[in-house]
Amino acid sequence: MTPSLHFRSVGQPVRRNEDERLITGKGRFTDDFSLPGQAWGVMVRSPYPHALIQGIDVSAALEAEGVLGVYTGADLAADGIGEIPHNPVPSTQFDLKLTGRGGTPVYIGEHYLLPQDRVRHVGEAVAMVVAETRQLAQTAAELVMVDYEALPFVTDTSAAAEPDAPRLWDALPDNVLVDSWHGDRENTEAAFARAAHVISMRYHLHRVTGVPLEPRASLGHFDVETGRYTLWAGSGGAVRQKQELAKVLGIEPARVRVISLDVGGNFGTRNRAFVEFGLVMYASKKLGRPVKFRADRSEAFLTDYQGRDLVVEVALALDADGKFLALRSDNLSNIGSRCVSLSPLSKGSGLITGSYDIPYATLRSRAVYSNTMSTQAYRSSGRPEVTFAIERLVDKAARALGYDRLELRRRNLVRPEQMPYVNAVGSQYDSGEYEKNMDRVLELADFAGSAARKAEALARGKLYGVGFSNYVESSIGTPKERADLIVRPEGVEVVIGTQPAGQGHETSFAQVTADLLGVPFETVKITLGDTDVVTAGGGTHSGRSMRHASAVIFLATADLVEKGKALAGEKLGVAPAAVEFADGVFRTADTNITLDWFDLARIAAERGETLMVRRDNEMHTPVFPNGACVCEIEIDPDTGGLEIKRYTTVDDVGRCINPMIVHGQTHGGIAQGVGQALWEGCVIDPETGQPLAAAFTEYGMPRFDNLPSFVTEIAEVISPTNPLGVKAGGEGGTTPAPAVITSALEDALAEFGPPDISMPFNPFKIWSAIQTGRKAAKLERAA
Amino acid sequence: MSLLTLTVNGAEVSREADDSTLLVEFLREHLGLTGSHVGCDTTQCGCCVVHIDGVSAKSCTVLAAQAGARKVTTIEGLAGGDALHPVQRAFREHHGLQCGFCTPGMIMAAAELIATYDGKLDEHAVREEMEGNLCRCTGYHNIVRAILAAAEEINGPDRVVRPASGHAPGHAPVEETA
Repeated sequence: MTPSLHFRSVGQPVRRNEDERLITGKGRFTDDFSLPGQAWGVMVRSPYPHALIQGIDVSAALEAEGVLGVYTGADLAADGIGEIPHNPVPSTQFDLKLTGRGGTPVYIGEHYLLPQDRVRHVGEAVAMVVAETRQLAQTAAELVMVDYEALPFVTDTSAAAEPDAPRLWDALPDNVLVDSWHGDRENTEAAFARAAHVISMRYHLHRVTGVPLEPRASLGHFDVETGRYTLWAGSGGAVRQKQELAKVLGIEPARVRVISLDVGGNFGTRNRAFVEFGLVMYASKKLGRPVKFRADRSEAFLTDYQGRDLVVEVALALDADGKFLALRSDNLSNIGSRCVSLSPLSKGSGLITGSYDIPYATLRSRAVYSNTMSTQAYRSSGRPEVTFAIERLVDKAARALGYDRLELRRRNLVRPEQMPYVNAVGSQYDSGEYEKNMDRVLELADFAGSAARKAEALARGKLYGVGFSNYVESSIGTPKERADLIVRPEGVEVVIGTQPAGQGHETSFAQVTADLLGVPFETVKITLGDTDVVTAGGGTHSGRSMRHASAVIFLATADLVEKGKALAGEKLGVAPAAVEFADGVFRTADTNITLDWFDLARIAAERGETLMVRRDNEMHTPVFPNGACVCEIEIDPDTGGLEIKRYTTVDDVGRCINPMIVHGQTHGGIAQGVGQALWEGCVIDPETGQPLAAAFTEYGMPRFDNLPSFVTEIAEVISPTNPLGVKAGGEGGTTPAPAVITSALEDALAEFGPPDISMPFNPFKIWSAIQTGRKAAKLERAA
Repeated sequence: MSLLTLTVNGAEVSREADDSTLLVEFLREHLGLTGSHVGCDTTQCGCCVVHIDGVSAKSCTVLAAQAGARKVTTIEGLAGGDALHPVQRAFREHHGLQCGFCTPGMIMAAAELIATYDGKLDEHAVREEMEGNLCRCTGYHNIVRAILAAAEEINGPDRVVRPASGHAPGHAPVEETA
């Protein structure tokens, strides 16, 4: 029986179930939990980017007021505490297969909670001090004496990949842990050989960090009586944390409970275990007291998992008519000092041809260790990087060859009738109407009127630029999800293993469940984030949650309807097959008696039973959200100051469950993508290896007064890959943003030639580009 | 250690606390009022904004002792009883929050802005005045709309300039598919 697809709630901007607690100060973030007898843990962190640990003297710290314990890597090893099993190589059937050189396994350097041999980045924790209060622990941490012997270090992405770069891991001959080739080299080379034009570029998509506003925190409690650990820690998936931390502690997963209720932002940075999660659990057992850790903002800047950091060398071959023939790309990802995730490299690798029909491509994908904090999937993992590469290349080609940049795109877009379309590196785009997105966004943005706006700005002595970008991205993610559907006389409960950090699952999942069961939205409650209730689930990343949740809820609903029919049949005295179900009501053709879900729940309860199903689903097929984006910027040539005047997007998210939430996701995604282009950057001093952005005073954030309001539209091309036709809505705002801002900047500075400057485009860089351009023009006139 | 006596959300409270205790620590750790959040250590993010004698203050940079003789209002006490303050209602209605971590500080700062702003509140003024509060989820778009809607409810339509919608009109209805 197929559940009803008669939508009442789905597609509506239903106000969120989450909000009442969050607007009244009753949120349940990690640091909001405190336990009687709780002590505080503070980390001793490395000031060196690379150094041998010759010894750690904890004696003075142990003597300090209020100190309960000081722990080092040696203590953990003596107690049998293991490595974090990050499982960094993406492994669904649809992920590009990343390997070491010549197909060898990827070398994954160990990641213990505290290292014994050496520190590999500034900020790496080398010891934990636990004391009665946070302040006492901070004071005592200053007394831990670590004997470091500084080693040569490397932080720059390209430099780290050089054969003679300082090495992070003795087991590797250099720092390159992934070096694999994809696509069709022979045909790509042949296409380049016969091409009329070849356009190329090299760019470093710099490193940024996620900056969830809730600093990461963890509270561990070991219960001596039950032998169980409880960890409160906001993350991207409590079930994953439970499994991994059980391995770290060397115990059965059943002895670990992880609680992750309200999570104050994630954006990918919280998807993997942090060392402090295991450390508070360990210390709680050692001390027989709960132990809490909360990162300072500077610790978060230094040691939250970071994002991007990809060097791209890319070349596009075109024929004499501007048709794209082939693409060559060399992508080098800086994964930092521990290999936590190769998702950014992998996700980007599958999308190097972007929204365009390019018959052949060759890709060399490399990943490199460096003396920096580890990188991880960050909002739209890997996709803004490759979108930037292809979109900038197309603009460059249009300029160099004299094409209109929009016309050149139209000539090469993947067309709807080619769907499903397999791109040149093997990714199968499920559906999409790419040119329609372009048409619509140009209309919404009043692109036709931009020339007049530009003329008006120029008349005021300003520079004005109009940027454009298409994008296509992929949503893959962990393939397994589980849902428990429980119908009680008072309402329906859905227990599911995704992990929102603001995406509104308690609302959108309830909308889906309500419509599939035919019950009012208000009767459905979604339960998440406590592994004693949520037994399995893949967490939230890669835009997987709405698609996986709606699919497994759809399947669970079908099972539940069968159960309902059996129960109704018994009550009505007919065979289950004689019971019809529609719009939440069970009936037979012979009587006018009807039963709804809550009647059945009461009948079950009278028998001491519960009307429920548990359903597991495994779904590997990816989806490919896509869209287009236009922005207009104004620059003050005297200061280099940049203002975004208009920002317009069209995003195909597949079926949109809650447009209010999806628009909100787009807005936030835009801000993060624009942030990378204009303000944000994890800058490291090349001389000392010291990170220079460790506070909000040093790391440029998107703020109220540097962003405009946006115009966003949702396109719904239903995906054929899953029951409700969902794609994803969380990352489309971010994916084209660095490309579209750069496009606008190039347009604004066109009279000076395309600026040779790197993101983030701060006023000084823009002003300098204008001065350089003016000087060059003056010299030209003089000559 | 000293005995600190404060008026918080209309009630007088006394607790033994270290002299160096910050107001936000006092609220969170001593009184269990965990609605005021700590998002940074540099008075930048605004997650900890409370009202001290009706004026917005970042409670991470005020000693609890400094608030001794004054009236402190937190997000938990902004509205009376079970009712919601118009700013709280507007944040929900206009989807002005996602993860909700910055939200208490945003709401407190916005409530004071609306209560004290002399002129006609428009998008530009909201963006300028609220610059001391950071949000990482919303791109600020819907927060601006929430604040202007609440201002309209509190001060009347004559003292607000409504923002443009920001959404293209709806999204096309789609065919039912299985």
